[in-house]
Amino acid sequence: MAAISMRLPVARKAVAPSASRGGEKRLVAPGDTITTDTGYMRGHGTYVEEEKLIASVAGAVERVNKLVCVSALKSRYNGEVGDIVVGRITEVQQKRWKVETNSRLDSVLLLSSMNLPGGELRRRSAEDELAMRDYLQEGDLISAEVQSVFSDGAISLHTRSLKYGKLGQGVLVQVSPSFVKRQKTHFHDLPCGASVILGNNGFIWIYPTPEQKDEETGSFTTNLEPVPLSDREVISRLRNCIVALVTQKLMLFDTSILYCYEASLPHQIKDILKPEVMEEIVMETRQRLLDLEA
Amino acid sequence: MKATPLSNCERRFLLRALQEGKRLDGRQCYDYRNVRVSFGPDYGCCVVELGKTRVLGQVSCELVPPRPNRPTEGILFFNVELSPMAAPGFEPGRQSELLVELNSLIERCLRNSECIDTESLCVVAGEKVWQIRLDLHVLNHDGNMIDAASIAGIVALCHFRRPDVSVQGEEVTVYTPEERDPVPLSIHHMPICVSFAFFQQGTYLLVDPTEREERVMDGFLVIAMNKHREICTIQSSGGIMLVKEQVLRCSKITAVKVTEITEVIQKALENDQKVRKEGGKFGFAESIPNQKITSFKMGSTAVDTNNVEEQAEEIITKAEPPSEVVAKPILHTPGTAQIGEGIENSWGDLEESEREEAVEEESESEVTAFECQKRESEDTSTMKETKEDEPIVLSDSEEEEVVILEPQELPKKTRTQTNSKQENTSKKACNRKRRKKRAAH
Repeated sequence: MAAISMRLPVARKAVAPSASRGGEKRLVAPGDTITTDTGYMRGHGTYVEEEKLIASVAGAVERVNKLVCVSALKSRYNGEVGDIVVGRITEVQQKRWKVETNSRLDSVLLLSSMNLPGGELRRRSAEDELAMRDYLQEGDLISAEVQSVFSDGAISLHTRSLKYGKLGQGVLVQVSPSFVKRQKTHFHDLPCGASVILGNNGFIWIYPTPEQKDEETGSFTTNLEPVPLSDREVISRLRNCIVALVTQKLMLFDTSILYCYEASLPHQIKDILKPEVMEEIVMETRQRLLDLEA
Repeated sequence: MKATPLSNCERRFLLRALQEGKRLDGRQCYDYRNVRVSFGPDYGCCVVELGKTRVLGQVSCELVPPRPNRPTEGILFFNVELSPMAAPGFEPGRQSELLVELNSLIERCLRNSECIDTESLCVVAGEKVWQIRLDLHVLNHDGNMIDAASIAGIVALCHFRRPDVSVQGEEVTVYTPEERDPVPLSIHHMPICVSFAFFQQGTYLLVDPTEREERVMDGFLVIAMNKHREICTIQSSGGIMLVKEQVLRCSKITAVKVTEITEVIQKALENDQKVRKEGGKFGFAESIPNQKITSFKMGSTAVDTNNVEEQAEEIITKAEPPSEVVAKPILHTPGTAQIGEGIENSWGDLEESEREEAVEEESESEVTAFECQKRESEDTSTMKETKEDEPIVLSDSEEEEVVILEPQELPKKTRTQTNSKQENTSKKACNRKRRKKRAAH
C-alpha cells in the first residue's frame, strides 16, 4: 500500500454566472407551468391539465410558432438523419445487425448498407449473408451514420463511406447525448496526438491517430499493433478530461476538449478525476472559451 | 427496455483480473462492501445500502381473521418488487425469473426460519390476528440484491412497532400510538443471506459480487445464516457442480460475515432508538451525507496505520530536503535595493551585504560546527519564532515624514537586524545539516 494522500475541504465560493449569451433558454422541471395561454399546441415533454400547459420532463422550453415542446436534458438518443453514431453490435440476424446506440430501441444496420471489402458494388448474395459474422460480431464497436428513422423511432444506420466501419484499439466514453454539440464534422484529429469521434448518441471514441491516411480496406481489419506508451497516456488524459467536462456540465466539442486537455497538463492523469481539480480545470476551459467567443 | 449488453472486452477483462486476484473496486475476494442502514421517520421503514445497491424495506400491520388451519398464529406476507429505477432491464408488472427467485429466497429466509414469533401476533384465537406485511423495493441494482434485501427485511422487522392491543373478555381495544407506546415484534434471531459467485467452474470464488461480476459468473450460492451459526436456508443456482469443501468453506465465511453485519445492524438500531428517545432529528434527511470533498460532513474511512512509521521514514529519507522558508520573503535581485514601502531601507546594505557574504562563507564552517553543538538542545519551535520575529523597521529615508520617538535606537535596530540575518542564515544552514542528520537515522 502506498502512502496516504490527504485532501482538505475548502469552503466553496459561489462562482459568478457566466456572461449572458443572447437568447437565454428557459429551463423547467417536471410539474412547472409553461404557459396558461390555450392558443399553443403541446409538443413532446408537455401535457395539459386544467387549461395549463405543464412540463413533464426537465429541460429547456422550445417554441416554434405555435408548437411548444420541452427538450429533455438527460434522455435516450433520438436519431436524426445524418448523425454520426458509435454503436456496439448486439445481435447478428438474417441480413442485418442490431446495434446498441443508447436509444430506446436497438438500431439496425442492414447488410446492404454495409460496404463490402474492396469497395465492390454488387447485390448481396447468400454467401455474403453467411459471411456476415466474419465482418462484424457481437461486441464489436462501429462508427456509422444515420440513414433513416423508422416510424417507431428505431434508427437505420449505414457505413457507406470509408471513414465508417469497425473500430479498433481505443477507449470508449459513454455520456448523455445532450452533451455532444452538433457540428459540421465529428471526426477530429486533435493536435495533442490522438483522434476522437464524437458520436451524437453520446458514445465518444478516443483512439491513436492512424499513421497512414489512406485506408482502402474500409477498416474491417483491426490494427492490433501495440500502441506506444506516450499515445496511451494522451488517450487516458483525454478520457479523464471528457469525464471532467461532463461532470461539470460543459458541452463537448473539439475546442473544449482541447482546451481542457491543455489546462490539465500540469496535473497528473489520475488527479484529474478529483472533484476540486475537475472544477479548476473546467473553470479555466470555460474562461478560455468565453475569451474565444468575445 | 432491454438491458445494455456486456461487451466482450469487459467480460475478458473481468475474468483476467479475477485470475490475478483483483476485483474492479479493489476489494479482496472475501471482502464485503460497506453496509449502511438508515431509518425513516416511521417505525418499520429503512433503507439498506450495500455499496451502490439500495433496498427499501417497509413493514405494515393489519388486523385480519386468521387462516382456518392455523387459528392461533399471525400471518406474514412478504413481497419483493424490482422497480424500473433499479436497472433499465426491469419492467413494472413483469414476473421475471429473477423476481421469482428473490421472492422465494426472502420467504424461505424469513418465514421458514421462524425468526418471527407468529404466536405472539395472535389477538383473539380464531378471530383476529395481526397480519404483518413486509414490502421490499429494490431502488438500485449494483449486484447482490439478495443480501441487501434480506438485511433490509430483517432490519425493518426489528425496527417496526405494532399498536398495543388489550383484550378484556370479549372486548378488544387497539390503542393508538398516542395512547400507548407501540410494541415491537418478537424476533428470535436475525437470519442474513450471504451470496457467493463462482467463476471458471468453481475455481474462483467471490463474496458479494457487483453487477458486472454477476453478469460473468458461472454459478451462484446463497447461504442464510444467523449469528448463532445456524443455517436457515441454502440455495445454489447456475448449474455448476460444487464440491463439499467449497460449500463448507463458504459456510465458514458466511458465519464471519453474518456476525459483522449483525453488529452493524444492532448499532444502527441502537443509534436510532437513542435519537428518537432524546427527541433529536431522525429520518432519511439526516442520514444522507454530502459526497463532496468541500462539504464538512463526510463518513469516516478506516485507514491502515500498521506500517506508517516505517513507510514515513522511507519517504523522508528518499525525499529531498525542503527548501528554506522565510516568513516574509523579500527577494532582492542582484544590484538592486529597496527604499520606502514601509519596509526597512536596504540601500546601504548592498555594499555591506556583499562584504558580509564574503566573510560568512569563510567563517561558516567554523561557526556552524560550534553553533550546532550549542543549539542541539534547542527546540525547532524557538528557532522558527526567532525567524518570524524579524521586526519590520520603518524606513528612515529623509523623504518620508517619520516621527521617531527614540531616534537613537533606530540605527541600533538595523545593526542587530543585519546581525540577526547573519545568525539566521547560519541557523538555517545548521537546520539543514541537522535535518540531514535526523533523516540519516
